[in-house]
Amino acid sequence: MAYVKVKRRELTFAERMYLPAILKGLSHTFKHFVGAGGRAGVTMQYPEEKWELPNFYRGVPALVKDEDGREKCVACSLCEFVCPPRAISIIPQEIEGVVEKAPEVFDIDMLRCIFCGYCEEVCPEEAIFMSKEYEICGTSREELVYGKSKLYEIGLTLGDDGGVTDATKKWERLAREQSEQGVDTHQGADTE
Amino acid sequence: MATLTIDGREVTVEPGTTVIEAVRRLGADVPHYCWHPGLSVAGNCRICLVEVEGMPTVQISCNLGVRDGMVVHTQSEKARQARQDVMELLLINHPLDCPICDQAGECKLQEYSFDFGTDGSRFDFPKVHKPKHVRFSEKVVFDAERCILCTRCVRFLDEVAGKDELDIINRGDRNEIAVARGDELTSDYQMNIVDVCPVGALTSTDFRFKSRVWFLKQTRSVCAGCSRGCNVTVGSRWNRVLRLVPAENQAVNKWWMCDDGRFTYRDVGADDRLGAPMVRKNGRLVEVSWDEALAAAAEGLGNAGKDLTAVVSARLTNEELHLAQTILDHVGAGERGYRARDFAKDDMLRTGDGNPNAAGAELMGLTPFTTDLPGAKHVFLCGDGVEQNEDLSSAAFVLVADCRESQTILEFATVVLPSVTAFEKRGSFTNVDGRIQRVEPSVRAPGSALEDWKLLGRLLAKLTGDAAPTSADSVLKSMGATRPAFEGLSLGRLGPLGKSTATATAAANGEAQ
Ligand code: SF4
Ligand code: SF4
Ligand code: SF4
Ligand code: SF4
Repeated sequence: MAYVKVKRRELTFAERMYLPAILKGLSHTFKHFVGAGGRAGVTMQYPEEKWELPNFYRGVPALVKDEDGREKCVACSLCEFVCPPRAISIIPQEIEGVVEKAPEVFDIDMLRCIFCGYCEEVCPEEAIFMSKEYEICGTSREELVYGKSKLYEIGLTLGDDGGVTDATKKWERLAREQSEQGVDTHQGADTE
Repeated sequence: MATLTIDGREVTVEPGTTVIEAVRRLGADVPHYCWHPGLSVAGNCRICLVEVEGMPTVQISCNLGVRDGMVVHTQSEKARQARQDVMELLLINHPLDCPICDQAGECKLQEYSFDFGTDGSRFDFPKVHKPKHVRFSEKVVFDAERCILCTRCVRFLDEVAGKDELDIINRGDRNEIAVARGDELTSDYQMNIVDVCPVGALTSTDFRFKSRVWFLKQTRSVCAGCSRGCNVTVGSRWNRVLRLVPAENQAVNKWWMCDDGRFTYRDVGADDRLGAPMVRKNGRLVEVSWDEALAAAAEGLGNAGKDLTAVVSARLTNEELHLAQTILDHVGAGERGYRARDFAKDDMLRTGDGNPNAAGAELMGLTPFTTDLPGAKHVFLCGDGVEQNEDLSSAAFVLVADCRESQTILEFATVVLPSVTAFEKRGSFTNVDGRIQRVEPSVRAPGSALEDWKLLGRLLAKLTGDAAPTSADSVLKSMGATRPAFEGLSLGRLGPLGKSTATATAAANGEAQ
């Protein structure tokens, strides 16, 4: 590596005095001081007042249901797999109907979540979204493990279906096609 | 002998070998769904297409016999393109079920799609729908939409299990697999069709939706259901065993195992597992420290001497049986033996002997127990305190080392040493043919329960004053000196497939040692 010798600039007399700079700074302070009298103030009155959050904001991940109130999540566990800090734990269960499977337990440990949004990105059913919820508080660790009901509750703030409607039509379309083709898709032992 | 060139490499095989077998001989593989090394050739899935010089079209390698001088390309552009086209056809009516399909993660359709599928569909029409969630039996559920009609399940039941119960019904794109003879599947080996199914069309009701397979910890071990000792892969998660699937071992179970064997894991999560050592004080069993329990056990055994009647379970590992025998020799116990356990026999794998290590017990000099326990004054139930509920009220001292609670324990035990199941310990079993195979732990035991070898080792140390063994492996290595069947063995040296020693095999065949 070659060295470059940088020559320091000589300070002017005024700069060496430093008083002009202080006065410049104080004048700014004074402008705000006077301005506050006219405007509402520079401090936001949180929590009475809240930020308008941009749409790309990534808050608590939340679960959503479709227009018919059906759980969209099918417990595929891809979000559980992709989640870098392993914040999600899912126990799947079998249900009646075309979808066959849904989460029995769906927990997100908010003490672990890093709000990366990977879960939203990986979800094949568009069932989990990053909400604008950022107030995460509780008095114990257990309280901060958000269960299914809490996650759906937060999901409601996103609108009925998290703002995505097309994906939910997949199962509807399947059921329609099946009935058009006269296929009973959920039957017992008698196959003949 | 025929010498052929596959992707530029030469291989010499016996005439009659198929091209896919020759490729596999080289350590490579050709994609395949319907071909299975343990079943007849069906040649219906068409994914194993390869290019052969001098032949006008691509050929299925599973049904193409080798010829001397043949030149085969498995990776050529033509072969890849052909496979991609086959994939497209297979996926035309395939549902987008991956998120709810148990096979996801170990599905050949997913794997080959990833390898050479296209990323979109050119098919504009509604897919053909077929029955989903069809119950083939209590153990197996079928999804006709996911089925690729490879007939592996049909052939397995017919050719291997000897129950020709499944067949293809209907025609064209309405083709589906159905129970064609009888109401439901009856084979004791039917769950193997879930394993051979290359896609998620057949799922096990027992494992269904329990967990995605990629979360499972996979441990290679041995089934403790009977003395065959089928090799298994244990899938566990959350410290719970969730499923057992067969692991290939040509010398023992080939690719298969019986259905009952798959359910042997259920003991592990039983509610009545013992988790703490106990000693009876003033008529009641109270939890004590291991040290106190072992001291009480050693004292009781010492007092009993030759009046001790010991039942040693042939479900214990070779190492544990050796330690148990050493303890009994040290004490000078009079009566000892193992109890025979019945298990329905068939002419496939099930041996009829429910003791996974009966051969090991015989090698240690234990014989089936004949005397009656009631009336005995001093009793040691070593790994055998659960199933038989005898009246031991006349015994002054009853020592039980077992993993589950039982009436015998609650009523009569003086000292209880909690031990573990075959899923929680390391060691070896000697199977019916004298093959010594390795057992590996997949989950942790509840509470402070100890592996039987550890518990017996410590008990022996209490009796002799020597140091207790530090691992099951150290026991196996040291017992070779006195037990020729195990000479020169270590758990590492057994490898995943186990080993037969001359002495053990001769003993298993009933020849004099
Ligand atoms: S946002 Fe990231 S860290 Fe939080 S639950 Fe989703 S994947 Fe996990
Ligand atoms: S990825 Fe989506 S569908 Fe799958 S478990 Fe997570 S939320 Fe449910
Ligand atoms: S059910 Fe599975 S094994 Fe049987 S034909 Fe269909 S894809 Fe093949
Ligand atoms: S045949 Fe015996 S060893 Fe094999 S799976 Fe069945 S019970 Fe287990």
